[in-house]
Amino acid sequence: MTGQKRILAALLGALAVLVLIIGGLSAVLLLSGGPKGGGSNTATSGGTVDTKPASGRLRLPGTDPLTLDPALATDSGSAEYIVEIFSGLMTIAPDLKIVPDLAESYQVSDDGKTFTFKLRDNAVFHDGRSVEASDVKCSFERAASRTTASPTAPVYLNDIIGANDMMTGRAQNISGIEVVDKKTVKITIDAPKPYFIAKLTYTTAMVVDCKQAQQNPRNWTRSPNGTGPYRLTDWRVGERIVLESNPKYYLGAPKVSQVLYQFTGGSALTRFENNELDIASISVNDIDRVRDKNSALGKLYQTSTDFTISYIAFNAKNAPFDDANVRRAFGLAIDRSKVTSVTFNNMISPATGILPPQLPGFTPDDKSLKFNPDAAKAALAASKYKNAAGLPPITMTEIGGGASAGLDTQAYIEQWKQVLGVTVQVKQQDTASFFEDQQKGRLQMFNAGWVMDYPDPEDVLDLKFYSKSTLNDIGYSNPDVDRILEQARIERDPGKRLAQYQDVEKRLINDGAWLPLYFGGTHQVVNASVKGWFNPPMVIPRLRYISVDR
Amino acid sequence: MTTVAPASDLHSPAAAAASRGAVALFWERLRKKKLAMMSLVVIVLIYGGGILAPVIAPYSYTQQNIDQALQGPSRAHPLGTDRLGRDMLSRSLYSARTTLVVSVAVLVSGSLLIGNGLGLIAGYRGGWVDNMIMRVGEIFSSLPGLPMLILVNAALSPRVDEFAKWAARLPGGGGVVHDFASYSSIFAALSLFFWVGTARYVRSLVLQLRERDFILAAQALGASTPRILVRHLLPNIAFIVVLQLSATLGSVAGTEVALTWFGVGVQPPTPSFGAMIYDGSGTRTFQAYPHLLLVPGLFVSSLLFAFALLGDAVNDVIRDR
Amino acid sequence: MTGYVIRRLAILPLTLFIVSFFTFAIARYGPGDPVTVAAGQVRDPEVLERIREERGLNGTIFEQYQRWAVRALEGDFGESFIQQGYSVRELVVPKMIVSAQLNVLSIIFVFVIGVPLGMLAAWFQGKWIDPFIISTLLFLSAIPVLVILPPIQWLLAVRFHIIPVGGWGGLIDIFWIGGVIAVPIPNPHLYLPLIVLTVPGFSGVARLVRITALQVSREDYVRTARAKGLTEATVALRHVLPNAMLPLVTAIGLSLAGIVEGSYFTETLLGIPGIGAFTFESVRSRDYDVILATTLIVAVFFIVMNLLTDLAYARIDPRVRLGASNVS
Repeated sequence: MTGQKRILAALLGALAVLVLIIGGLSAVLLLSGGPKGGGSNTATSGGTVDTKPASGRLRLPGTDPLTLDPALATDSGSAEYIVEIFSGLMTIAPDLKIVPDLAESYQVSDDGKTFTFKLRDNAVFHDGRSVEASDVKCSFERAASRTTASPTAPVYLNDIIGANDMMTGRAQNISGIEVVDKKTVKITIDAPKPYFIAKLTYTTAMVVDCKQAQQNPRNWTRSPNGTGPYRLTDWRVGERIVLESNPKYYLGAPKVSQVLYQFTGGSALTRFENNELDIASISVNDIDRVRDKNSALGKLYQTSTDFTISYIAFNAKNAPFDDANVRRAFGLAIDRSKVTSVTFNNMISPATGILPPQLPGFTPDDKSLKFNPDAAKAALAASKYKNAAGLPPITMTEIGGGASAGLDTQAYIEQWKQVLGVTVQVKQQDTASFFEDQQKGRLQMFNAGWVMDYPDPEDVLDLKFYSKSTLNDIGYSNPDVDRILEQARIERDPGKRLAQYQDVEKRLINDGAWLPLYFGGTHQVVNASVKGWFNPPMVIPRLRYISVDR
Repeated sequence: MTTVAPASDLHSPAAAAASRGAVALFWERLRKKKLAMMSLVVIVLIYGGGILAPVIAPYSYTQQNIDQALQGPSRAHPLGTDRLGRDMLSRSLYSARTTLVVSVAVLVSGSLLIGNGLGLIAGYRGGWVDNMIMRVGEIFSSLPGLPMLILVNAALSPRVDEFAKWAARLPGGGGVVHDFASYSSIFAALSLFFWVGTARYVRSLVLQLRERDFILAAQALGASTPRILVRHLLPNIAFIVVLQLSATLGSVAGTEVALTWFGVGVQPPTPSFGAMIYDGSGTRTFQAYPHLLLVPGLFVSSLLFAFALLGDAVNDVIRDR
Repeated sequence: MTGYVIRRLAILPLTLFIVSFFTFAIARYGPGDPVTVAAGQVRDPEVLERIREERGLNGTIFEQYQRWAVRALEGDFGESFIQQGYSVRELVVPKMIVSAQLNVLSIIFVFVIGVPLGMLAAWFQGKWIDPFIISTLLFLSAIPVLVILPPIQWLLAVRFHIIPVGGWGGLIDIFWIGGVIAVPIPNPHLYLPLIVLTVPGFSGVARLVRITALQVSREDYVRTARAKGLTEATVALRHVLPNAMLPLVTAIGLSLAGIVEGSYFTETLLGIPGIGAFTFESVRSRDYDVILATTLIVAVFFIVMNLLTDLAYARIDPRVRLGASNVS
């Protein structure tokens, strides 16, 4: 190579690097066209928001909602935003009582099948339009329409006469919803079901601006025109959501004027300590530090229970769990209190039954199968498999969020081995595979959880254990249980009805249908300037009860 | 592809026939490199510990003692215990065993069988065969590694489960056979992406060899293509290929750890460094119980460092020949 | 040469077809689909079937692929199944921009620091400094990100509060002096990801530069230059370095693929809204269209980069014959 060529080579090399870098960057930038089909573009809009502490500004950790469409949401993460932006005929108050919301009052007919709702006069959408009876009817019909393809409507609206016809495409509207006058709507259901009014609190039954949803069916939730106490003013996917108080809200504008949910930034507790967040959850590693009442964090610590239950389920159609004795043996052989105290540092408590605390029907006495090695061995011996050697191979499946999910699972597997001499293989699956297998009833034994959607025992006992329920994924079928569940559905004496559910709960536990493991709990630290913060056991509207003064 | 591509050298080394003399010569040269020898000792110690784990581990890797959870180092537990009170030393030894099994299996199936075979064919036949194999290789190396591994693994795992259950029922099956069978989806997924580097390397060696006299002579004598490949080409490059590959063992080990960390690799309760690191990661966990991360982290880092040093030395020696 | 480029580009559509169909098939072949994930606790099979139909997930895999391909050719890469109501493009582009910013920066740092270190090692060949530099760099690259990140985070963010624990705030931050003078400074969120992305990269670049430099310095023209009486420094800078650029171009070209791929571990661990973490999330939730789009972008980018690298290589070194079988 001559000297000239060398210089040329060096220049070309540098040039190539530059071209590659610029080319790469511009390729990325070129790809970034605007979204198709118009609609507001909150996802890619720029700008930053003020995250400094201020009066009336609440800064929370959060995650992206999967959707803000009330008819499509199925997860509590999405519901948390939806219940603040939208509202429905009924809602759940902080004391978990079911109270009228958009409705001022309602009346139930003598046969218990017809509900007449009177809407509030001052109920308006965010854009100021008055909420009318036709909006209610149209919202329900939108949720039930085939084009919306709501996964929740068949669960929450199916009691209404004609809803099923619309969902299956046999009708163009729901015949059981009648607009009486501008502010009165009448809903007729197929049987006197006391829990129907509770179902109306769910997001599927919330009122949306039908015109907005029809004009822009896929994108309207980016600036939804709801009726709730808060308006969505900014949503950047993967970064943040900003809610601002709705001055036209029918119960008065909320005190916290801006709620900022931040989705990035690592450990929430560290950011709480840096005064970047007002609320942070506590992990098992920090719980000791926080429990110390004299520490700075200890004074800000709050704990509460959730309407969640984790459990181990057995497929009753699959050997060896087709024998209730085997299921009982597995339940009697594990010591849950030891696992919760050591592995989870008492952050969760062993479940005393299936119905979690605060839920109507909950009783504090321990109904679960108690750790008893001798009884466990006896139960196994009483089964048709006689002993551990007679059992077929057993695999327990769980969702593997990471390599080591299920420390407790590993502890239980060890206990089954020690007490019963049974070797249980554990298999971790990603969420998609697990749901698929669970739904198809392919899992022999699995570890899962259930989140209550409305405060009624029917929401877990009937849905998960009634033999014909589509959510019964364990093949459980018990004629006695079915009979009591059917009775409880239409029992109008609340006390008697709860007693029926408690009866079912006891039968299920003794039958080993589920091994209830723990009730969920929330552990948080709350900035001292946040007043009135509370953690309801399920997702309910709560921001309007809170104030921030600094 | 940084996580899965073997660290193959960008240079095409001059290839030559390796006789027994060359092996001795190579060893003679490598022995003079102190760092390489130290690395070899570390590797032998860690992998040896893995092989002998059932003999030398003080506890079983599943043996729990919840009352002694999360303890620091002590006489009973030299490296402390984890959240379930299991001995960290024993778990580390068994994890080394897992890493060894996975990396050797991937090396044999992916690199040696597929990579070597395709590389030989591509280099010797040339023309459209060569072109096709290299294009397919380009496709595989152009796919984003980790997501593909997860998808392939997920797609294969139901079949693998059935296979594992079937294998466990065979006479003499059970424990080891079942474990090995249940690893096979991760082997398959890894092999699918690891052959490309080897194939390219082998091809480049073959290209330099195929015009040599002894090959031309064999061709003139009418030897069949498979015969030339297996009897004449393979012996001449086998040694150097194995050397080169052993230098990439580290990246297989690293990928196994990474995959398990993401929850798609080795399944619990089989211990793996990936799972142990996952247990210990998180700023807060590290602050409270540093040994949960440091113990497996130290093992993995030493292993990968030793492999890197050794690979560097091996490359030097090959290049200097 | 033009013919070679045309031939390579001509098979690009075929490659893209294979890549997209492979990804399409393998994602759908495995158990589970995005509808089950999005539906959560609701599991009514009839409802799910209806939703699948509505979202175009019915029919054989070939019919589905055909539907997807027709739309993709029109530039519509579909809609996320999980983040409902968002098109794939809207979700992917902002995340790609974040990853690209981060990775371009880190690649620049890797080469700006790695090249001098490699030259230094070559310069001191035979002395203790050479193995010291190389083994130190090897050690730094041997520690997995998964292991090193929590201690660094703890030390710098939790213990000493020097930098934020994680997150993303763009490249530039404004630092106010006395609330009057605005000074643009690098965003503090950048330091942590930059450290873990660049430090392991030094060893590869430095080793490559070192080896090439040593080889080049044995070449005749370098000896001639030395014989002419030029100082060692002049020889190194004027003669050795430019010629050692050759393999570097390849290395740079290949590392650029990271720009569109992102970094799975760093982004996931640090909560950076980049394409790596997002791809990983999409794979987990089987968000088919997102997976396909990101895979295709990475594949196209990789193949084009490969081609450009080959071309640049041939431009610099006429000895390289493109398309000939002796290019390894």
